[in-house]
Amino acid sequence: MLALKNVSKTYDRSKRAVNQISLDVEKGEIIGFIGPNGAGKTTTLKMITGIIQPTEGTISIDGVDIMKAPVDAKKNFSYVPDQPTIFDAISGIDYLNFMADMYDVSIRERKKRIEKFSKAFQIDDALTQKVNSYSHGMRQKLLITGAMLSNPKLFILDEPMVGLDPHSARVLKDLMREHCNKGGTVFFSSHGLEVVEDLCDRVAIIHKGKLIACDVVGNIKKSTDTTLENVFLEMTRDA
Amino acid sequence: MRKIITLTQVQVKDFLNKYIEHVNVKNRWLGLLSLFIPALFILPAYQLVNSIYEGFNQIGFPELTITYMYIGTVVLMFFACIPMIISVFFYAKDLQFLTTLPVKVEGIIFSKLATVYLYLFVLGCFFFGTSVIVYSTIGEWDLYSLIAGIIALLISPLLPMILTTLIIIPFMALVGKGRKRNLMVVVGNVIFLFVFLFLQLIIARAEMDIESFYHILLQEDGLLRQLGRNFPPSIWLTRMIQGSLLDGGLFVLLNLVFLYALKLVSQLLYTKALLAFNQQGGGEDIHRKGTVSFRKRRIGSQLITRHIQIILSNPIFLINTVLIMFLPILIFMIMLFTGEASREFFHSSELSPYILYIYIGIITAPAMIGNLSATSITREGKAFWETRILPISARENLKYRIYATLLITFIATVLLAIAGGIYLQVSLDIVIRAVIFSVVATLFLSTIDIVINIERPTLNWTSPTAAVKNNLNVIISLFIRVGLGGGGYYIYQLFPHLTANEWVTIATLFFLVLYGISHYIVFGIYTKKFDRIDV
Ligand SMILES: Nc1ncnc2c1ncn2[C@@H]1O[C@H](COP(=O)(O)OP(=O)(O)OP(=O)(O)O)[C@@H](O)[C@H]1O
Ligand SMILES: [Mg+2]
Repeated sequence: MLALKNVSKTYDRSKRAVNQISLDVEKGEIIGFIGPNGAGKTTTLKMITGIIQPTEGTISIDGVDIMKAPVDAKKNFSYVPDQPTIFDAISGIDYLNFMADMYDVSIRERKKRIEKFSKAFQIDDALTQKVNSYSHGMRQKLLITGAMLSNPKLFILDEPMVGLDPHSARVLKDLMREHCNKGGTVFFSSHGLEVVEDLCDRVAIIHKGKLIACDVVGNIKKSTDTTLENVFLEMTRDA
Repeated sequence: MRKIITLTQVQVKDFLNKYIEHVNVKNRWLGLLSLFIPALFILPAYQLVNSIYEGFNQIGFPELTITYMYIGTVVLMFFACIPMIISVFFYAKDLQFLTTLPVKVEGIIFSKLATVYLYLFVLGCFFFGTSVIVYSTIGEWDLYSLIAGIIALLISPLLPMILTTLIIIPFMALVGKGRKRNLMVVVGNVIFLFVFLFLQLIIARAEMDIESFYHILLQEDGLLRQLGRNFPPSIWLTRMIQGSLLDGGLFVLLNLVFLYALKLVSQLLYTKALLAFNQQGGGEDIHRKGTVSFRKRRIGSQLITRHIQIILSNPIFLINTVLIMFLPILIFMIMLFTGEASREFFHSSELSPYILYIYIGIITAPAMIGNLSATSITREGKAFWETRILPISARENLKYRIYATLLITFIATVLLAIAGGIYLQVSLDIVIRAVIFSVVATLFLSTIDIVINIERPTLNWTSPTAAVKNNLNVIISLFIRVGLGGGGYYIYQLFPHLTANEWVTIATLFFLVLYGISHYIVFGIYTKKFDRIDV
């Protein structure tokens, strides 16, 4: 579903943020992407979504190269960034209609989905208000709702749990699970190791721009009596 | 005091760094080139000052060059600092952070003004600064005037800046409580500028018949006082540079008094205006109960709407756009009111051959002065990533940005064409020729401007004036226009026998070719560059 081949990103000609990452995500999988601050998670996700271009390497989504056929590739995924900075002088419902129009979602379909997700996230009462009156968490939930409208084959999220209340975090987890059960794929970065441990089929660990592990949690832990946290701290400890 | 200095340093550093960032484009040569662009304005400024100096020198009052340029600069400063003050005080993104710091409120106000000062100072250097140098170096070398002039130059931004602050901040507090806050801000500013220009023109309209002119000449300093009426401190300033210590003292004192006045009221300004304004929500009724409707619209219309809404929702962007688009109308109306222009004047035998050019000038002004495409990407700021992940091509992305510019510009052009056409009573033939020219020129300018923005996207701004005004993109874009105008005028002089109709036809065809080229450049080359903008 998602394939990265030797992907690197160098900022300003010298800062190598991501270094030769190769990764394959299968259809129907949930993959957690973890790593210390500044490891290159956001950079990787931005390259996958076409927000920035990789310095080298290729990325394909459902077999479509994001650089060669960006429009077709972009139809297959949606993205929720770590900072919900969107143009916010419009109402929530205007934003959702905007997103639905961009992905050509029918009226019936968008009505069904908007009602479902906005109720679940408890933002249905706020939809007629301007986004600039939303709290951080409300914005995030609006963006998640917007991203789910097109029922994307691949759902990419950057630290989606940050700023969500316990109820909303649960709704999001259920949503991700359900999306995969229906054949969708989820790729998200997180610092919440427990969430990653109990939600993900596989975990990818990035450290200083390099992918240092990508496997099922059990294999990464090697033994059962330790936690993912311990292993993570051990693996990313500076020598 | 130390805190205030640190705070000011931070603000100024931020301001300067943003500038350096602005210049630091990916393409090294373009970066170097853009550094020189503001410097190029010195040349025409020098020429202007020189010719004014010669004029005043002939009648024996060279010092009036300084008075004249100072007044002009002050007017320019007023214009420039109104939107800037609103922007840094009311729409800057660092206000929340600043208000939490344990510093005196003067600190916040003065540190914010420091960046405005810097900007105005640079502006002052061009015209006023040049006049100081011309005055004190032409003829006999006068070290005293040079030093006094430089001191005057250093303090010249203070008066316009503080006066504006004292008027604008309370005004903003007043409209800040209203429901339609953003609209009020824009309307209030247009009115403010209108009144300001109006007053200037009224004062400047001296009854210059021969008799009263002699009368003025006979009085000691009569001419200086006459000219100085526009802005009385200019009289002190002129005498200060001429060598009067007393006047120099008075001028400096006046500035100090204003500084002190600002300090006195800063607490009031801060609590009653700044805090109050920033505590109100968007000024809209947040709990307004609208209906959730599900409408389907085309991608193109959604994107064009988005780009237009970005302008409409930000008062600074809106003021900037409205002022630029309707500046010709504004000036025109003021000239009518003050009697500087009349219909007879335009139909006089000297001007009537040029009526086609005048009409073209009026209706093409929005495209000429407006450079909306040059900041189309910048205006989106941190929300730029949004259109990047959408399933639309770079080509479409750019196309709808240009369409948004065209839409706004054409609305202004149509309004101006109707108003100007009725007032000037031009023939249908002229209207058609002018409109065709204007459309073609607008197409070209709106397309080529986007190249500037792709080269220099500058998405990371704190205050919105930095996005649309104090932005090299705008200067580069104006430079293209100045170049075209200058080149056009040069060629015009080479072939004096061609008629206005022939000239306009040639120019229309020329712009058509340019439009073709710019279209190829943007959609052939720059779509790829657009995809490479780092977010
Ligand atoms: N626009 C940019 N220009 C230059 N360097 C950048 C830019 N964006 C990120 N970097 C650098 O790239 C590296 C990776 O950053 P990235 O944002 O991908 O980290 P991250 O893994 O998402 O971290 P966090 O957990 O803090 O979100 C960092 O060292 C950062 O300094
Ligand atoms: Mg990150």
